[in-house]
Amino acid sequence: MDKDKRMQKIVFWLFLAPALISFFMVQIIPFVIGFYYSFTDWSATAQITLNFVGLKNYADAFKDTTFLYSTIITSIYTLLNIVLVNVVAFGLALLVTSNIKFRNIYRAGFFLPNVIGGIILGYIWQFIFNRFVPFVAGSWGITYLTENLMLANSRTALLALVIVSTWQYAGYIMMIYVAALQNVPRDLIEAAQVDGATPWQRFKAITIPMVRPAFTVTLFLTLVNSFKQFDVNTSLTGVGPSTMFMGRAINGTELLAMNISNTSLILRNTAMAQAKAIVFFVVLVVFSLLQVYFSKKKEVEL
Amino acid sequence: MKKILILISILLVAFSLAACTPKEEQIEITFKQNKPEIDGQLQAFAAAYEAETGVKVNVVSCGGSSCSLGDMLRSDYASGNLPEIFTIDGIEAYNEWAAVISDLSAEKWVADTDVAFKVGGKVVGFPVNVEGWGMAYNADLLEAADIDPATLNNYDAYLAAFEKLEAMKVELGIDSVVSMAAGPGMYWVTGHHNFNSLLSNGLPYGDLSVTNALLAGNVDAARLGEYADWVNLLFKYADKTVLTTGNYDSQVGAFLNQKAVFLHQGNWVDGNLKDATFDMAFAPHGSSKTATDGIFVSAPAWYIVNKDSKNAEAAKDFLEFMVYNQIGQDYMVNKAGMIPAFKNVTIEPTGKLSKSVLTWAKAGKIYSWNQYNFSGEFRDNKLGPIYNQLASEAITVEQFKELITQAFKDNAK
Repeated sequence: MDKDKRMQKIVFWLFLAPALISFFMVQIIPFVIGFYYSFTDWSATAQITLNFVGLKNYADAFKDTTFLYSTIITSIYTLLNIVLVNVVAFGLALLVTSNIKFRNIYRAGFFLPNVIGGIILGYIWQFIFNRFVPFVAGSWGITYLTENLMLANSRTALLALVIVSTWQYAGYIMMIYVAALQNVPRDLIEAAQVDGATPWQRFKAITIPMVRPAFTVTLFLTLVNSFKQFDVNTSLTGVGPSTMFMGRAINGTELLAMNISNTSLILRNTAMAQAKAIVFFVVLVVFSLLQVYFSKKKEVEL
Repeated sequence: MKKILILISILLVAFSLAACTPKEEQIEITFKQNKPEIDGQLQAFAAAYEAETGVKVNVVSCGGSSCSLGDMLRSDYASGNLPEIFTIDGIEAYNEWAAVISDLSAEKWVADTDVAFKVGGKVVGFPVNVEGWGMAYNADLLEAADIDPATLNNYDAYLAAFEKLEAMKVELGIDSVVSMAAGPGMYWVTGHHNFNSLLSNGLPYGDLSVTNALLAGNVDAARLGEYADWVNLLFKYADKTVLTTGNYDSQVGAFLNQKAVFLHQGNWVDGNLKDATFDMAFAPHGSSKTATDGIFVSAPAWYIVNKDSKNAEAAKDFLEFMVYNQIGQDYMVNKAGMIPAFKNVTIEPTGKLSKSVLTWAKAGKIYSWNQYNFSGEFRDNKLGPIYNQLASEAITVEQFKELITQAFKDNAK
């Protein structure tokens, strides 16, 4: 009996081992090493001496105007993205849980973009924005759209990023809302109906409060994912059309993750990139915790 | 049942560990280079080399917009697997790897080339090939417009030609006069290649006077002014879509499909222009009011040998074989379509633009590549966005000059 239990434990840990080992190898250990590197002059080159420089990398990162700019546009992007993804996803979820025909096909269709990788998606949409839109607009005689390409201006390029990531991500978030909407008790709604509540009242007073836990999850997912945006950014806009910021011409759609990667790969300042990554991590954790805390407070339980 | 499960899990873990153990075998060298377009040819050459000498050469190609050789080498270095031979593209990369780079001064091929990579009198890099760029022109279209390409050698000549061609757009069936790219991802066309006109056009080969002055933050306003007019001229007569959002394919495609008369690229586009039915060649850049007579030619990259590898000698033999053996020469020129950097190689490339580069080079009418004296960060992140601002007409030529001047001053600090 006792031996059996021990066996079970061993099997349990053995099955868990591959996942645990890889998690430690590629997440925990690099994170700890990276945290240490952010206080040194680590350069990842063939000169091995490592000197401790204290908070210099952090000071440099905060003085870097591109980092400031990236933080600003990433925040704007995140805000726009959270709103648009959730509004679209919730709308779609209401649509596919209503009594329309072919709702299962719609469900699959809306989810489909999520299975396509972000890099490929970016290239497809690049084609749409650069070739398809001007072509169609041109044949309709809308010269404004053929002369002002969305990806040629940093502001509209950011908007293009929001459109594409909404297209990609709304289906996934929709599925979470669908699950939540299906769990709203029918008897509550019927009771309200008997009491003479209008559809809007039923929606506001029953549906919304009942799906609040889903909001906590979806807001968290969209917040974190928008902040960490990298793949669509890389393939759709790259560093983007340039823009003027604090008297200098700089890259217009370099979101935070890309700014960090470029600090390391183009500026060749790996230690500063590491410091930026730590700042990024802290900011993301703080925002996510705040969001979850406030969302949780608004949840109701039956 | 449970025992079987345990056994399987133990075996799985054991196998995954066993996969990491190294094996003993023949001499093997790893060769990492940054030209994906010649990967197939290089693989075939490596196979032929193995058949000839028994030394196995593993070719890995990593370059273009999808793969960064620098990153790959950095992770190789971190894992202790730095290849025997790899490509460096200039002084920045040399500095990064200086600690592991072999001195190749004693190699036989050193006497047969002018473009080896030298540092402090020592030869350290094997020139991959010779490349060049100027303004590539469609000779047939120029003839149709009655413009003699030999007259294209300064700003005014180009201005007159561009105006004439612009007026004949419908007649010639072109979308724009120039095929130029300044969008994101194409900053190497503006911030690297075009930028070099400012640094070396009209100067003796290897003259770093302008470059050094700019590195020190001293901007010659007259030279910059003429250069800025040239940039503006190219942008003004370019197709806006290709200019602001186009990639390499759309830029070269416009020239290939005869939708543009001029192309701002180098002889490496020969591979993309195999189907071209028209004649083409290079003309000098028009970045100054006074006439210039030459195009920009240099070795773009060098192979270096990792001195810490136990197979460093085998790697040197491999490079020598490439220069002096028939198979190696055939690979470089006929198969890979490169312009050889070695005088003993008599085979000539077939690409029309490569031939043009060779013609200019043989006449000694060449200007150097000085842009790599500025860091990649400066060219990509500081200059690129400024060109892009001008291309999208967000700033004027005056502002362009101010921003460039400011960028040089910031860079000198």
